[in-house]
Amino acid sequence: MRTLRFLWVLGLLPPCYCRYFSGETFSEELVIRPLPDGKVASRFEFTTLLHGATPRNPQNLSVEDHSQHYTLFPLALGQILREYAVTELHLTLNAGKWNYDRWGYPEESDVATGASLWAWMAEGSGSASAANARHRVDARWRDLRNALAGLFCASIASLDEQRTTSPGRAFTPVGALPAWPASVQHAFRHASLPSENVCTENLTPFLKLLPCKSLSGLAHLLNPHRLFDADWHGMGLHVSWRPNEGVQVRLTFQSVSDPLRAGGNSRDWSLRLLFDRVVDRACPVAASSRIIVTLPTKELYSVHPEPSSVVDGRGAFDLSDQSFPLDLRLRWAEPFQHATVPSAEAPLSVRRMLRGSAQDHGALAISITNPDSDPVSVVYLETLPWIVYLYLSTLELSVGGVRRPDLLQDISYIAPVPHGRAATLEAFLSLPARSTVTLHIGVGRSFLRYTEHPPDAQRGWDLPGAVVALLPAASGNQSSATDSTNKGAMQEMKKWNQPQRIYTPALLVDPATPDFSMPYNVIIFTCSLIAFIFGSVFNGLTRRFVVLKSPE
Amino acid sequence: MKLSLDLSVVFPALVASRLLLALTNLPDALKHDHQLSSPLTSYLNLQEGIYLFKNGIDPYSGGIFRHSPLFLALFTTILPTSRTVASVIWTLCDAVGAWALVQIWRARQRVSQTSRDGLIAGAYLLNPYIFLSTLSLSTSPFENMLTLIAVMFAAQGNASPSLLAAALLLHLSLSSVVLLAPLILLLASSPVSQLASPRAFAKNGKNVAPLVAEFAAYAAILSLASTLVSGGWAWVPQTWGASLTLPDLTPNCGLWWYFFTEMFDHFRPFFLMVFSIHLLIYIAPVCIKFQYDPLYATFILLGILATFKPYPTMADPGLFLSMLAVFPEIYPYLRYPIVTTLLHLHAALLMPLFHHLWLNQGTANANFFYASTLVFACANGAALTDCVWAGLRIAIGEPQDGYVVVQE
Repeated sequence: MRTLRFLWVLGLLPPCYCRYFSGETFSEELVIRPLPDGKVASRFEFTTLLHGATPRNPQNLSVEDHSQHYTLFPLALGQILREYAVTELHLTLNAGKWNYDRWGYPEESDVATGASLWAWMAEGSGSASAANARHRVDARWRDLRNALAGLFCASIASLDEQRTTSPGRAFTPVGALPAWPASVQHAFRHASLPSENVCTENLTPFLKLLPCKSLSGLAHLLNPHRLFDADWHGMGLHVSWRPNEGVQVRLTFQSVSDPLRAGGNSRDWSLRLLFDRVVDRACPVAASSRIIVTLPTKELYSVHPEPSSVVDGRGAFDLSDQSFPLDLRLRWAEPFQHATVPSAEAPLSVRRMLRGSAQDHGALAISITNPDSDPVSVVYLETLPWIVYLYLSTLELSVGGVRRPDLLQDISYIAPVPHGRAATLEAFLSLPARSTVTLHIGVGRSFLRYTEHPPDAQRGWDLPGAVVALLPAASGNQSSATDSTNKGAMQEMKKWNQPQRIYTPALLVDPATPDFSMPYNVIIFTCSLIAFIFGSVFNGLTRRFVVLKSPE
Repeated sequence: MKLSLDLSVVFPALVASRLLLALTNLPDALKHDHQLSSPLTSYLNLQEGIYLFKNGIDPYSGGIFRHSPLFLALFTTILPTSRTVASVIWTLCDAVGAWALVQIWRARQRVSQTSRDGLIAGAYLLNPYIFLSTLSLSTSPFENMLTLIAVMFAAQGNASPSLLAAALLLHLSLSSVVLLAPLILLLASSPVSQLASPRAFAKNGKNVAPLVAEFAAYAAILSLASTLVSGGWAWVPQTWGASLTLPDLTPNCGLWWYFFTEMFDHFRPFFLMVFSIHLLIYIAPVCIKFQYDPLYATFILLGILATFKPYPTMADPGLFLSMLAVFPEIYPYLRYPIVTTLLHLHAALLMPLFHHLWLNQGTANANFFYASTLVFACANGAALTDCVWAGLRIAIGEPQDGYVVVQE
């Protein structure tokens, strides 16, 4: 009887009530895109919007903050954002190398290898008193790294000052930066750690930030056994502020799976094949829950179940219209034919190499190919830890062996400081149509103190990948030339006026190593020698000469 | 047939042959060599600094460019920076240095010309340590030239030019402040050899204070000029500070780099202090003991700098060894010149070899090169202690049969 009454109370609740909590909206989306080489790219996106919220003004950090009550918005993250007054925050944890030449431009543009963290924060209250020292941008940046390291169980805390840079052009805020009265400019901080490994221990805290965890909805498909077996996988956290909407938190997970390796015998895929799971039920608090599948344009195929709508060659499946358990299946009628030439879908093709066999100097060679029929302007961003330093005076630009210094329009450079600061090089290049521009810079390699070497020092250091960002003006010309499969990603980029970023893989550099086993020996040898010479010199200087009769 | 060592023949011939070699591709092959150029003198770093400066980036904001702002002023306004012109300028530096060494020799002998002039010039121009350093376009030939010019003017009694050269030298290399005391003593007395007849410092010390003041004034003016050139005081920690804190641990032929690579972090400041002060504690004893011959005191302190400097290059020991040619009177009293020569030969052959094996071939490790720098330090130390011994021993002269000279 009591159960019946309880159900009756439940029935009173309007069905929409649970979807629209006071001022918070949660929506989820899964985009699945077959890649030209037969693999399947999938991108999960979980968006929580906190309506009407604004980032905390760091000028008020010494004032007690208002209490935080969230229903859908992740509290653990909200506390970090308020505590350190972060306006915009991006964190990506990726494993593997995104192959632009074969996979095209990714749905989530930030595919840098390893961990990357970048944020916009305003300067705290101006006085330099000791009490406010921890309100400064750099102090809050340090605390933010530590807090996120704790939240995501990742080595973000080691993104210290030696890896922090502030490049000006390659990164622009996705949302808006509030114009606080009497507030100083927002500061940008970026750091990346290419050697960070991404695994289950990072996914578990990621899932905990979702309102339905991995129990229902699309997040149920996030099966670590399959995701971390993928050819490429990466997760992202993007917090931004929309002036008319509020604070938006976007949690993304992107992967590239191989249907053949997953147990299929063709490129046909299904949710069960890719994730070894199906969608059992919808997340009850999600305002919208969709799966979007890019459908083949030139070949015969069958998709089951039928999409709710098809726009632009992309079939949308709204989970509210579907029956559960839902297992999407896409089958091709024809067997797969490998393309003989790699279909370059990415707007640019970038290669980067470290040349030279010597352990004290070498050269960095970058070649950027513009396959388009229009010239484009890009920013080439290089952030190098101080162990490798650039000889900017040796920078050479050439196209097909002909030197073209005119292609370098502008350059901004922050020199490295040994044991302290990373170098930042932003070169503004114009790439002629259908050509390959080669950039050649001499580099030197520092010699490190024996305590500065990482464990397994002979393996070397991972250098963060370079970023080539197409400037927004140029990306407008781009979308017409690219394949329709990428259109969605492109339009999204344009909507936010973001420069399209292309990341190169990390490089491995092996600095010369001292002998780690003999600090005592070196100290003893050197000190003994100095004491011996010192003693001999002072012996000669202080003792008097005397003439003695020879004993014999 | 008597071998003619006439200066008017030898000098142009040597300079011309060196110029020819400098204009070949040898500098490109040698400019990465760590023994010939340190981070403070490297031509690559100099070019980088000039490039940054010309493009409106403060070269002292980073940690690569550690040359004095005077170099920036020189190379961005007066001198062009092409490789050919650089080779000519660097060779001219050595030519001026050799000429100054000959002048020092003449001042010591108090004659206007000797038959030994050509030999002295040759000792400087043919010294492989100095020669290769110049070929690698390291800026240490500038330091050597300024050292020799300062000593030359001091020996000739020209106080102001000597002190100006010493102030310039201080800006190029902080450690050379060690040479100030013997230079002032030299200005206050004479360069003539008194080694065989020691006596107390004859001249009164009254005119020492104005000389020190004049040096301080020159150094201050040059510091202000440097600040104006570089647009701030950032050059001080980058150039002078580097000699004290050793931020760049690039291998060189000295003793500091591996010691501070392997040093425990919490002892680093202490040992940096010890090593820096260690350079200074030689000044007073050497100047007091050789007060009757300040030129010899300068020579001994040059040897100490060559052995214990924070960022030495091969040109530093080279200067010490070449200057030995000015003191032929001590040759009979050297105890073990053969051993010293063999040590130098041993180190000079092994250092480039082990450096190459470690960093290029990858078949050796850092200890190999470190061991060869220890041998090199032994060689420099042996030369130094032998010169100290011989410079003092000469005063006793040859004892009669049945007697020996010992230290008590």
